[in-house]
Amino acid sequence: MESILTYVALSMVLFVIGAIGVCLRRNAIVVFMCIEMMLNAVNLSFVAFSKLHGNLDGQIAVFFVMVIAAAESAIGLAIILSVFRTFESVETTDAGQLKW
Amino acid sequence: MNVISFLIGVCAVVSAICVVGLRNPLYSAFALVINLLAMAGLYAALDAHFLAVSQVVVYAGAIMVLVLFVLMLLNLKSESGRRLGFVRSAVALVIGCVVVMSALPPVVSHFSTMPQSTLSDNMRNSVGTVKAVGQELYTNYVAQFELASLVLLIGIVGAVMLAKRKSVTLAPRAGGLIGGSK
Repeated sequence: MESILTYVALSMVLFVIGAIGVCLRRNAIVVFMCIEMMLNAVNLSFVAFSKLHGNLDGQIAVFFVMVIAAAESAIGLAIILSVFRTFESVETTDAGQLKW
Repeated sequence: MNVISFLIGVCAVVSAICVVGLRNPLYSAFALVINLLAMAGLYAALDAHFLAVSQVVVYAGAIMVLVLFVLMLLNLKSESGRRLGFVRSAVALVIGCVVVMSALPPVVSHFSTMPQSTLSDNMRNSVGTVKAVGQELYTNYVAQFELASLVLLIGIVGAVMLAKRKSVTLAPRAGGLIGGSK
């Protein structure tokens, strides 16, 4: 019981660290990595609750989150690449005008 | 939670702070690799064996290779020297602490009201071996599984479309070559 609570608290802390990174950092690739970290924190709480309730539905959800994260990383990095070609930089403040 | 998984959890938190705090994006990427491997260790501690292995293969392997590849491709040396700013970091730290401290008590009270006996029985019979997860995936979640393959296909096509350099001219040149890139 208490151990599952520790895992949930850990996932909460990791999620908040990732959210702080998304807010603080200006490099788009680091922002992307922080988003991956937030996804992982949610995955950890899914697995912890799956263990707590004794069924595998949470682990299936984590599997699908991983699939979506793989597709998302391919698309996101392609977008970052094309932003870099347009602005010659991956700083999010440089791409803030939504035009080129 | 025994000593080993506690140490892995500390390692995950420290590497997560390194991802946010280190100024060079390359160092952030390597700290993220450590973080993802620590998460795989936590999954293994929670009896999710299949997810631990696929975490190592998919996240720490494929996704991080993609991130490092883009990072090396862009050659971001000039932008890596900027400082985060003390005030911004302090404000972010305070907001983060407030969020965690306000979200934790409801979770703790919810956990304390759960019935103990059924849960301890539950926790024994959930083991995420490859066989169990595969059986669940191919019986109850077949439609979602097939849909996931479609999502991956769309992801591949979209990534190629976005990252491809646009060909500018289609008119034949003097040398007889067709096309060209910007």
